[in-house]
Amino acid sequence: MSRALGERYGLLLLLAGVCLFFGVLPASAAAFPTAANLQAVLGNIAVVSVLGIAAVFPLVGGHFDFSVAATSLVSSITCAALLSDHHAPLVVGVAGGLLAGLVVGLVNATLVAVLRLNAFIVTIGTATLLPGVVQWYTGGVGITRDIAQPLRDLGSGTWLGLPRVIWPVALVIAACWFVLGQTAVGRRLHAVGSNPAAARLVGIPVTRVSFLAFVISGGLAGVAGILLTARNGGGLVTSGVDLLFPALAAVFLGGTAIDPGRYNVLGTVVGALFVAVSVSGLTLAGAADWVPDVFNGAALVVAVAVSTLLARRRGTP
Amino acid sequence: MTTPREALLHVEDVHKSYGPVPVLKGVHLDLYPGEVHALAGGNGSGKSTLIKVLAGIEHADAGTLRVPGRPTTDLAGFGAAASSRAGLRFVHQDLGLVLDMTVAENFALSRGFPARFGAVAWSRLRRAVADRLERFDLAVDPGARVASLRPADRTMVAVARALADDEPGQILVLDEPTASLPHHEVDILLDALARRAAKGQAILYVSHRLAEVLSLAHRVTVLRDGTVAESRPTADLDGLGLAELIAGRSVETLYPARAVPTEKPERPVVQVRELCAGPLREVSMEAHAGEIVGVAGLLGSGRSTLLRSLFGAVVPRSGSITVEGRPLPPSVRAAMRAGVALVPEDRQREALFGDLSVVRNTTIATLARHTRWSWLRPSSERAATRDAIDDFAIRVPAPAQAITRLSGGNQQKVVLARWLQREPRVLLLDEPTQGVDVLARADIYRRLREVAVGGTAVVVASSDVEELANLCDRVVVLRAGRVSARLRGTEVAIPAIVRHSYADREAS
Repeated sequence: MSRALGERYGLLLLLAGVCLFFGVLPASAAAFPTAANLQAVLGNIAVVSVLGIAAVFPLVGGHFDFSVAATSLVSSITCAALLSDHHAPLVVGVAGGLLAGLVVGLVNATLVAVLRLNAFIVTIGTATLLPGVVQWYTGGVGITRDIAQPLRDLGSGTWLGLPRVIWPVALVIAACWFVLGQTAVGRRLHAVGSNPAAARLVGIPVTRVSFLAFVISGGLAGVAGILLTARNGGGLVTSGVDLLFPALAAVFLGGTAIDPGRYNVLGTVVGALFVAVSVSGLTLAGAADWVPDVFNGAALVVAVAVSTLLARRRGTP
Repeated sequence: MTTPREALLHVEDVHKSYGPVPVLKGVHLDLYPGEVHALAGGNGSGKSTLIKVLAGIEHADAGTLRVPGRPTTDLAGFGAAASSRAGLRFVHQDLGLVLDMTVAENFALSRGFPARFGAVAWSRLRRAVADRLERFDLAVDPGARVASLRPADRTMVAVARALADDEPGQILVLDEPTASLPHHEVDILLDALARRAAKGQAILYVSHRLAEVLSLAHRVTVLRDGTVAESRPTADLDGLGLAELIAGRSVETLYPARAVPTEKPERPVVQVRELCAGPLREVSMEAHAGEIVGVAGLLGSGRSTLLRSLFGAVVPRSGSITVEGRPLPPSVRAAMRAGVALVPEDRQREALFGDLSVVRNTTIATLARHTRWSWLRPSSERAATRDAIDDFAIRVPAPAQAITRLSGGNQQKVVLARWLQREPRVLLLDEPTQGVDVLARADIYRRLREVAVGGTAVVVASSDVEELANLCDRVVVLRAGRVSARLRGTEVAIPAIVRHSYADREAS
């Protein structure tokens, strides 16, 4: 059983090890273990965690979703455009951003769940198409004027010593952990991902469940978009898309922890923390610009290898 | 068989443990030239582990292997290459054939493509394969796609390929070759294997099916709890005797006693009228509470389609299905609400959630009852699973383990328990004992009878005629989509079922 515990909490231990390392390393010891750095790291993982969780839902149901980051970009731009170009009230801006995410989710859901197209290709398609549309709409210029102050405060302020964005993100994490891990809906999604034919023969509405997974994914990407707008103080035309790979790295790293061999919400958060802490430590220790990229890529490959091998060992005697 | 000649394969004192659990505790096996030697044993007997050790897939902790003309080999470091050098040729249940390729290409995949100026010499390959097939009495075109062959021929193609290097002293190891074959294909395959054996081919034959073991094998080695319980000629053994060797205790009967025929309630639980769906043409049948109704017929006769229609998984072209007098809409969920349950034919593809735990596989059809305030309660799920494990005597190392870690018989018990928790009015089972060993089979039969006595209508579709003849109160025989016979009482017997399954097709 100690091996099972090691699997479950291995990533957390590794995270603690990385923290200790950069806390002691002379090059980073001064700046790394500080409240300011903790706040910076937590602020950075807010969007990445939500994006990762957005990808977890379709993945649990057996489908890739590469479009989450592009969807968050569309949501962010929609929110910013409503507030800035159309002088809409904050509530309308936020609702519009969320709605944009849901619409993309609905389109993906229709293409994949209803028309049964390959999710891998469809979502690469939407992930390519959406930033193009954003370029066309914005002319390549970010929208940063007249962003409502409360939204800016959410992005840069602190509450109870932690960045404000962490609080709504904590709510999202709790809700998704509950839905995916503790409810019948989540269990049915796992069943569909495991064996759709068998799921149908135990009365699970496979199409409806897959559909729902993509809509939830779109909605969460919408939330990530609002948080992006808050963090950036507006809609930046390139932001979000570059978060796809950190988010996926968090998801796959997360597949090695908490519920080893399976994509899961809490594991994804730990994965996001691990990547963010490591990158922060490397940066503070004066590593060159390319090091974080190499680290992210390596973490992704290692995570996939470890989680696949775990799942394989679990599946075979 | 007892003359003191040199064994073709002499395996001695094999030990193997998984962690602290010993699986093989000093197993020995002797195979003589020209002999068909069956390896039998229940779930957990160590049979599959021994085969894996011989194939070099698993390493034994200790043990030796000797073949004529070679030094004794230590099984602790015995890999796949060593296994092949020792002359062992395996044909596993899945055959390892690529269905979309031709027979010749499949030969070349494992034996190499003959080349000419760097390009594949197709005509040479075809000639070589045709020659090989002919020597195996196989009337198969080397250019035919494997998918187009009948199942028994596919197995023989795999056998011919495994033995293609013609080395002397080869031993053919067949691991459950008939597990996924329909009944009449089994006979064809057994005939072909018997012909190979008559020509002197030594065969190690692993099977759950006692009748096959008895008809094909000269000797049988029975494993029980990791030791050799018995190794002896089959000549003086019958089915019951072999079952008792496997069980290690007396098996009164494999099949439970039939229900005492009572006054039937006037209204059947399920009523099918003039059903047309898939291959089915105007099929009418019914099932009453308290009885086990068999559905017999060859592959393609529509057995599975009938069951799937009753479960709402197939949309019929015409006809009506009523459950408790109410028409059944063609939807799985509606059928489940009406109290219908289906244990599907293909366990791996249609029933098991391979990467989910035993607990989650058990409760997947009853999630609502484990939910409070939309919260799934793990304690409630575990309790239900424990009940099922106790009730069915399911052998589970840990309920939190993936279902794929269980043996076929235990997996099937989990699937059955999944549905029995719903207390179905109608229980449909398609090939309920495929890949299930004899002891688990007896458990399942006994449980089905109890369920029927409890007031459920049980419908069993099977290609195993013996199973239908011994388990069912009535049997409906399908032939080419039509009902060819309705057998009841003493008419329920193997000859009648076979005759009505095979008889000439009427022009339709």
